[in-house]
Amino acid sequence: MKNISIYRPTSIEEAIQILSKHGTEAGVYAGGTDLLIRLKNRLVQAPTYLVDIKRIDNLRYIREDAQGGVQIGAATKIAEVANSELLKKKYPMLVQAVNMISSPELRNASTIGGDLLQEVWCQYLRGGYSCWRNGGHICYGAIGDNSYYHSAMGGRLCYAVYPGDAATALIPFDARAKLATPVGMKELSIEQLVPGDMMVDGRIQSHVVRYNEILTEVVIPAPKPGTRASFEKLRPRGVWDFAMASLAMAMQVKGGTIEDARVVFGGISGKPLRETAVENALKGKTLGPGLADQALSVALANAAPLKYNATKIDMARGLLASGLVKLSTASAVA
Amino acid sequence: MQNIESILFEPVGCLAEFPSGPFLEAASRLFDRKKQVSQSGSRAYWHLLNLVESGDRELDESERRILDESEIQAASEATVYEDVTPALGELKSMGVKLFIASSLSRAAVARFVERNSLSSFFAGVWSTDEGDGRKAAPLRAAISASAVAPGRILFMTDTLEGLKLAQSAGVQPILMMNDPDEARRLSMHGPSGGIVSLHELPDFVRLVAAQNAGKSGAHS
Repeated sequence: MKNISIYRPTSIEEAIQILSKHGTEAGVYAGGTDLLIRLKNRLVQAPTYLVDIKRIDNLRYIREDAQGGVQIGAATKIAEVANSELLKKKYPMLVQAVNMISSPELRNASTIGGDLLQEVWCQYLRGGYSCWRNGGHICYGAIGDNSYYHSAMGGRLCYAVYPGDAATALIPFDARAKLATPVGMKELSIEQLVPGDMMVDGRIQSHVVRYNEILTEVVIPAPKPGTRASFEKLRPRGVWDFAMASLAMAMQVKGGTIEDARVVFGGISGKPLRETAVENALKGKTLGPGLADQALSVALANAAPLKYNATKIDMARGLLASGLVKLSTASAVA
Repeated sequence: MQNIESILFEPVGCLAEFPSGPFLEAASRLFDRKKQVSQSGSRAYWHLLNLVESGDRELDESERRILDESEIQAASEATVYEDVTPALGELKSMGVKLFIASSLSRAAVARFVERNSLSSFFAGVWSTDEGDGRKAAPLRAAISASAVAPGRILFMTDTLEGLKLAQSAGVQPILMMNDPDEARRLSMHGPSGGIVSLHELPDFVRLVAAQNAGKSGAHS
């Protein structure tokens, strides 16, 4: 592991000052379950200066806001999200999803912010190949084994999939993220936060957080009346693994009719893939038999699988069909 | 990698899918080569170039005519990749100087460029005739004409021959990864980079510029 320096600021302002001073040589350190592995694997892109934010007060909480939504501090552990009675009551689908992240040990260490902003887990990047995200100018995943960690929906220089489950499960609730920046706070939707393969500060990354910005909070609006939601995830083993394909759905149903829908696929694209064509196809329809066929007829029309990962699209389509069956019989949570 | 100011394209395999048939047919007629090479137009083209350049003998006038006709036929049947026109337009608007550097004849390149309405994108076209030779000759002529330092020039290629040619000329060879298996093999030969689709090339240029600007580029 390369030599590193660790700062332990006690305020967001101080942390931002340190990050601004060191530029892209610095990185935020919270749970460490992604960052420390990048360091251990000696990746060129791993930071030299770690800014440990764990001593900063008020980044680790789950609380209800005045509008009936929930605020989650960015340094809140995934296990705390998974065990929150408040979240179980209001957003059981989110709790179900985060319970499928990695292993209990890692959920105890990793944070919701880290899960949202984690680096991709392409085996070529993590193996130290000189790829687009690691100082080079080529994507080895596009020409090598792309059966698991790579996009079946095209790419932008890098073809790795966005690996996080939390973002996929938060988008159906129209969740938002708050960032502290050198010029104050800013707020983005989760979709805007992780739009996939962006060039930011001379780097390719899945999110838009700049080198001197810190994700501080996730805000989930109050569930809308008549909301039904589901999360499903296919992975090589029953625990630990990242999604081969996943699907988070939420619907507002009134009198058996779908008034609004959110359909978000994970594990198949460089971002949590919101499939608006399916959402539009579902709106105004009645829950019941035949709905899956209608949804599947427009789903993932822009699929562009690589040589070894066309099966991801089959998996995603299967999840859509089974998810719609499940929601047809589910009861509303709000 | 230094900031990219110019890009050289070999049309065969980088701008369009050329049919292999005319090149294989010419190889057969001129050199009695029945050997079946890849169905890839690029590989058939370089196979023919290697035979022509092997130095065994000079082609006479009638043989040169056969060669020219095969190239014109291939150029007439080539299918331009769908991402070519938007990518070239974007690169040109970014101020990147674009050149064709090809071992095809002047007539074949002209047929290809005109038939596909690509002439407005290129600052210059260097064929075998303008470059006074094949393989390295048009590449060197285009480099000279570009008035850009070789380290700031990309040469797009999808063959080992093209890759070596670029390395010998001091420009940056970039793999067009049309066939993943072939590209994986070629990635072992030290290309400066690689892209899956030409639509990635403007981002390639921007990212290198942002990296060189002290890693302080803005969101895009």
